[in-house]
Amino acid sequence: MNELKPLGIYIHIPFCRSKCQYCDFYSIGGSRDRRLVDNYLQALSEHFKETGALATDYVVDTVYFGGGTPSFFGADNLRRIFAELQHRFRVDKDAEITFEANPDSVSDNLLRKLRADGFNRMSLGVQSDHDDVLQKLGRPHTYEQARTAFQQARACGFDNISLDMMYGLPNQSAEQWEQTLTHVLNLRPEHISCYGLKLEPGTPLWEYRDAANLPSDEVQADMYLNTVEILEASGYRQYEISNFSKPGFESRHNLKYWLGDEYIGFGPAASSDFAGKRFTNNRDIQNYIRGVLKQDVTILLECESIPARERAGEYVMLRLRTTQGISPEEYEKQYLMPFAPLLAAIEPLAAREYFVQKDGRWILTPKGFLVSNQIIVRLQEAQEASEPLAKKR
Amino acid sequence: MTEQSKIRNFSIVAHIDHGKSTLADRLLEETNTVDKREMEEQILDNMDLERERGITIKARAVKLNYRADNGESYVLNLIDTPGHVDFNYEVSRSLTACEGAVLVVDASQGIEAQTLANTYLAIDEGLEVLPVVNKIDLPAARPQEVKKEIEDVIGLPAMDAPEISAKNGINIHAVLEMIVRDVPPPKGDREAPLQALIFDSQYDSYRGVVVYMRVMNGTVRPGMDVKMMASGAVYKVVECGYLHPKGMVPAEALGAGEVGYLTASIKTISDTRVGDTVTGAENPAAEPLPGYKTCQPMVFSGVYPADGSKYGDLRDALEKLKLNDASMYFTQENSIALGFGFRCGFLGLLHMEIIMERLEREFNLDLITTAPNVVYEIDKTDGSHIEVYTPLNYPDPMEIAQAYEPYVKASIIAPPDYVGNIMDLCQFRRGEFKDMTYLDQSRVELHYEIPLNEIIYDFFDALKSRTRGYGSLDYELIGYRPSKLVKLDILLNGELVDALSFILFADEAYARARRICEKLKDNIPRQMFEIPIQAAIGGKIIARETIKALRKDVLAKCYGGDITRKKKLLEKQKEGKKRMRTFGTVSVPSEAFMAVLKMDE
Repeated sequence: MNELKPLGIYIHIPFCRSKCQYCDFYSIGGSRDRRLVDNYLQALSEHFKETGALATDYVVDTVYFGGGTPSFFGADNLRRIFAELQHRFRVDKDAEITFEANPDSVSDNLLRKLRADGFNRMSLGVQSDHDDVLQKLGRPHTYEQARTAFQQARACGFDNISLDMMYGLPNQSAEQWEQTLTHVLNLRPEHISCYGLKLEPGTPLWEYRDAANLPSDEVQADMYLNTVEILEASGYRQYEISNFSKPGFESRHNLKYWLGDEYIGFGPAASSDFAGKRFTNNRDIQNYIRGVLKQDVTILLECESIPARERAGEYVMLRLRTTQGISPEEYEKQYLMPFAPLLAAIEPLAAREYFVQKDGRWILTPKGFLVSNQIIVRLQEAQEASEPLAKKR
Repeated sequence: MTEQSKIRNFSIVAHIDHGKSTLADRLLEETNTVDKREMEEQILDNMDLERERGITIKARAVKLNYRADNGESYVLNLIDTPGHVDFNYEVSRSLTACEGAVLVVDASQGIEAQTLANTYLAIDEGLEVLPVVNKIDLPAARPQEVKKEIEDVIGLPAMDAPEISAKNGINIHAVLEMIVRDVPPPKGDREAPLQALIFDSQYDSYRGVVVYMRVMNGTVRPGMDVKMMASGAVYKVVECGYLHPKGMVPAEALGAGEVGYLTASIKTISDTRVGDTVTGAENPAAEPLPGYKTCQPMVFSGVYPADGSKYGDLRDALEKLKLNDASMYFTQENSIALGFGFRCGFLGLLHMEIIMERLEREFNLDLITTAPNVVYEIDKTDGSHIEVYTPLNYPDPMEIAQAYEPYVKASIIAPPDYVGNIMDLCQFRRGEFKDMTYLDQSRVELHYEIPLNEIIYDFFDALKSRTRGYGSLDYELIGYRPSKLVKLDILLNGELVDALSFILFADEAYARARRICEKLKDNIPRQMFEIPIQAAIGGKIIARETIKALRKDVLAKCYGGDITRKKKLLEKQKEGKKRMRTFGTVSVPSEAFMAVLKMDE
């Protein structure tokens, strides 16, 4: 029998108690209409069945329930989905099973049920320890609720918990952010994600961005560098631009995105990279349900096969997000492209401390991560101008 | 062929906005040259640019058939002309092909600077000038006063001038009758050797060069071998005919007095120079027609492809445009910063803007244009005298004995209320007041002698804003005068960018240097390191700004669903970079070059 290939599964739960002011993910705020939920569950299980048949030579080693707010969707619904998934896919017994949660929809009951069914990682959206900021962002919870939720999860046996934090928030100073970090570190999570607030067109925050008193790019850059320093000093290793963990607690699922591994996304707006193709599902839940159940609209919004040369560009773009960085040998072997033109672009940047070299790999420094768009563009330009290596006979 | 006594060749001249193109539209309608349902505004201005800006750039000819009140049928050849001062050259070209000119004057605005300039051009060409008072239906119209103004200021009889509204089609018939009555018919010998004046030409990818011409003597017909007298090139005529707004109408022959086109599978653009004479190869004319005085470009600017590899495309495009616009001049230039490009000469800034826009639109090129300059003259310490067309060739200050800059005589006409504002402006622009004349109670004409350099930088816009749009301007070159000039250099990150250098009046150097540094700071995006911007004269830094280093350009989140989006974002960033030029390590967007030249006060 052929060896099974690893596969990540993402399941989008597009339901929230309310929409946050900055969020541009697809979700429906406030509603858990019973009929819609039932239809959605049915569509997911149908979609599992269809897709599972195409993935018989894969073993699922990570599952990620994202949103939206999976915890708001409720334990029973999540368990039902997971059970269906296990029915249609081969799920490894040591798979990482993550669900996202918001403090206002976490309860003992939910946590116990999920833990009992094999969910083993929780990603908790905390964002800030300032209640007035939380309110301003439209988050339906307080910091105290977040602390309680965290401790409940611990008590229910979750030994791999991640906290989602945000900096660059309205009225936030560098000192305040440092305090926030100190507070949440006291909870001793295994994993922390720290995101700079990004203004997305179409969100309420975008509309009043000029009045929001957001810290300048300069201050945000300082906040970021400070974050890396503080977390490293507390034993959290940076493994991606915005992600930090205790050793061994990196998000295995999210790493797949950056290492170019295969994953399939279910639900509206979810994306997949599977069998050489990248595709995204229809962004509207009704259309998604119809697409799966009645097949009168297309499920896929876009689908592209990625040629090898473009994969080489993605390698640069995605790997450089991680602290594994890029490796000349790996690059030349996988893409049959010369590394020398990239090196020519890297060296002057390394001289100015945007890059470091470790064990033969080129890795961005925190200062480099901050301007990584610029750097990736430079490297990709060098790459696009280069000719493939002659094939070895 | 039409009998010469039944032909009238005429132009319409006017100040910009006085309704020239609208009158042309009405004449076409009134003579049923274009069906009502096919009619569109500014029908002769078929360049997109002309319609967008509401101006005429190119001269254009069209044949009208008119049955006059006396029962006879006439052929009226209308040769349309541009109105802006930059295009005087086009105007004089059109006028040479005519025997008469209809002078359109706005009934409320009266005589303006270009009314005078264009009228004098027509009179100099020996044309019969026929005034028409337009826009009589406007509430502010004062036709009687305007007629008196025409008589007093220009000295043309105007009391019987038709009072019309081109916009509303009032009294158009009277204009046609006037043309038939007062424009002299052409005189020429149809049996004599061929002499046809090329007044325009255009490249057509199917027919080759299309030559627009006025036949002065002789007859031309398909199959005949013709010779371009200046270049000596000989071609067999494939087709000749008349010009219709919607295209070309072939004819059996064109005789003396007629206006039309010919094609002869001409591929070599330079063989058919505007102003040249077409004659028969077998029975050539003894002499060419007088042609046109060569026109002098006034403003020069470096033009470079934004993408260096497009140099060849740019050269082809310039050659094709040159065919269509003889007033443009170009020669190869090599900048350290921008590589291969061209130094181009233009009649003025509007002309330059239009050429740039045509190059970008019609030839799909991305261009970098350097700050425009006039031609300076310099006496060098070694006794030689040179002309400087580009800052790249400006000599070392040590080698300059005396520098000279060109001056123009500017004529400005405006209501008396704005005289103070105009004087302030002209003084600020180093103008020397000469005299002031009241044309009537409501209009005054001022004469100034001003450095051309001061005129080419948004002088007209400044004049318009200081006179609430009432001021009009015309100018002509009067010669060179000694001046104190310096070359200002710009350094980015310590490296001189020669393409940003320019020559200016020494006393203005400090203020301009500061403004330019600020402008560059606003127009060059932050990069991964700090970039000092310095302005220097000789080796001396006189202004400085700093572009701070870019510290944050990162996508914080990039999960499965974000990858496609992020790729698109980076592609966009790359596209943006492609439109920039890199100097040393600094990327400069092409807009930065333009920003330097748009120096609002």
